[in-house]
Amino acid sequence: MKILIVDDDKIFSKVLKDGITAKGEGKYEVVLARDGEEGIEKVKKEHPGLILLDLVMPGMDGIQFLRKLRTIPELSDIPVFINSQMSDIKKISEGLELGVKGYIVKTDYSIDDIVRRIDDVLLDEKE
Amino acid sequence: MQGTALIFIIFLFSTVVVVFSLWWNFSLRKEIDRKEEDTKHRMYELAVLKELGDRISYSLNIEKIADIITGSLGQLIEYDVSAYMILEPDKVFINIDLKNPVSADFINEMRKRMFESVSALLGKDFSATKREEVTTGAIVSSEEKDIVQSFFNIPLVIGDEVVGVLTVADRRGGLYKENEMTILYKIVAQASRAVSRLREAVMKEEEKISAMIETIRDGIVMTDRDYRVIVANPSAKALAGLKKEERLTIFDIIKATEGSIDVRGRLEESMKIGRTFTIADVLVKDQVFEIFVAPVKAGVGEGIEALGGVIIFHDVSGEKAAERMREDFVSMMVHELRSPLDGIKKMGEFINSDAAICKDEGALREYMHMIYDSSSDMLDLVNDLLDVAKSEAGKFDIDPRPTNLRQIIAERIKFFETVAKSDEVELASLFGEHVPDEVFVDPGRIAQVLNNLISNALKFTAPGGKVMIQTLFHRKGTNVAAEASVAGVEWFVKDGDDVLKDHPDCIVMAVTDTGEGISEKSKGMLFNKFKQFEASAKSSKRGTGLGLVIAKAIVEAHEGKIGVDSREGVGSTFYFTIKQ
Repeated sequence: MKILIVDDDKIFSKVLKDGITAKGEGKYEVVLARDGEEGIEKVKKEHPGLILLDLVMPGMDGIQFLRKLRTIPELSDIPVFINSQMSDIKKISEGLELGVKGYIVKTDYSIDDIVRRIDDVLLDEKE
Repeated sequence: MQGTALIFIIFLFSTVVVVFSLWWNFSLRKEIDRKEEDTKHRMYELAVLKELGDRISYSLNIEKIADIITGSLGQLIEYDVSAYMILEPDKVFINIDLKNPVSADFINEMRKRMFESVSALLGKDFSATKREEVTTGAIVSSEEKDIVQSFFNIPLVIGDEVVGVLTVADRRGGLYKENEMTILYKIVAQASRAVSRLREAVMKEEEKISAMIETIRDGIVMTDRDYRVIVANPSAKALAGLKKEERLTIFDIIKATEGSIDVRGRLEESMKIGRTFTIADVLVKDQVFEIFVAPVKAGVGEGIEALGGVIIFHDVSGEKAAERMREDFVSMMVHELRSPLDGIKKMGEFINSDAAICKDEGALREYMHMIYDSSSDMLDLVNDLLDVAKSEAGKFDIDPRPTNLRQIIAERIKFFETVAKSDEVELASLFGEHVPDEVFVDPGRIAQVLNNLISNALKFTAPGGKVMIQTLFHRKGTNVAAEASVAGVEWFVKDGDDVLKDHPDCIVMAVTDTGEGISEKSKGMLFNKFKQFEASAKSSKRGTGLGLVIAKAIVEAHEGKIGVDSREGVGSTFYFTIKQ
């Protein structure tokens, strides 16, 4: 199962990638994208089962990426988690309106928790 | 017999002489006395007239003026009754002052004659006009049948306008001769002059205030006691969405502020207790205003009634925007520092918790590298922010000493050589003829400026382009760009632009690139810390965005000037001056 992380923060992406790969017990292969544009490309190419999306990115930001994604029928169903700082309340609510499955707060998270949530969501999807 | 006759004649003669001289003396004396009397009288007259003028200057009210005049009359003329008649637009006001008791007939006769003269003066019959009459002084005696034997009427003229008549009357005859008439004329003329002068002064002040009110940015609305708008300046009308010619009412204000403030209530309170109210943060359309409501009083001091109110709309949107920019800057700054710190912490946690990672040397090295990069970035940011803060606090210190500019440039070129090569951009330098070998500057800081300018140039120049660092000596009165051109470098300044023409002799350093250029709009924001920081935070390119802001601070700390010009799609030139 591929998981796509769309985020311009190199450290955060790296930590998440290694963390999810390790804690996911080999279930997940993590792919990275630096901004919204690259994200759309990677979605089309890799067909991930889940997307972890950063909201504040240069160029095409998270919300724009989401809107674009929703316009592509075969890709619009992919579950999305938003990564954000707590202060982006407005953006978070925009994202929630666009149907994201959850959000990760960048300043306070645990890899275990994230992996568990990914497991849950992907289980729901299967049903 | 002859002797006696002689004595008698002499005696007679001397008597005549004595009598004559006595008489002559006497009449001289009388003459002198009369002249003295005259002068005294004249001086007295002048004193009364002056006081009259002074007292009138304090009052523009015609009735008050007439009162003042009749008050002074008694000091100069004799009369039984004095009266004045003032013509107001809707009525005639008559004031009769009795110095001595007279009959009702006397008064009626006076009144009749006053009306006659006014009608004659203005060619209009006023006898039917509404009347208001006040009688003061001695009582009207019902018994005596007096007749008006002496009567004198003088028109009251203020400016060029006949506003009424002033009358004196007496039961005795032959009282008002030339002397008295002259005095009366003088009094009225004095009054008229005083009023005219005062009116002129008031009009000038009014004009000044009008001009100010017309052009002031703040919206100003003045109301009378009944909340009717008597003055509304163009700014106020624009706020209410009205055109200059349209009338503004209180309702327009209520509508514009969307009922968020009780305009009438505030006005009422303000006028009643004589206080000014400030209402902050009122939204009108999409601008933020501070509104002041104040009473307009007739005079200074306590207990003076308010004639109306004034509402002032003060636009604070600019200040609000600036405040918001500052807040955004701080929050962006915090974000830029917090994110990498969080990342580093997380990495540390990760390495700590996952034993497996520790064994993977490649992974560890990768983490270390990322931690190093993040820390460097943050340190750069902190240093830049400190520089900006220091510069704004006026505490930007430089350490100038004799510096060899050629050396500095050579070092910079060496530093950027590899980057330039990999970017496929040519990096070169040109040193002008008359540039001194040593200049008194802070070498580290000037290197910092060059660093920033060169790295920017390289960043925005596509492969195949060129970045040229030029140093030349500028003489006052010459065109720098032309001088540069002569030396072989084309600067990207607008035709006819001659920024440093009147600048005294100095050294000029310029970094010219053949890159994408800068738009007019962006040019204005290049040295703005808010805009630059925001742009940099949003972009993926490395750097704090504050480089140019700091470069400016450094150049200005050296008492130099920094500038830029550019042609979009062709290239840019950043230049700065160094004091000789």
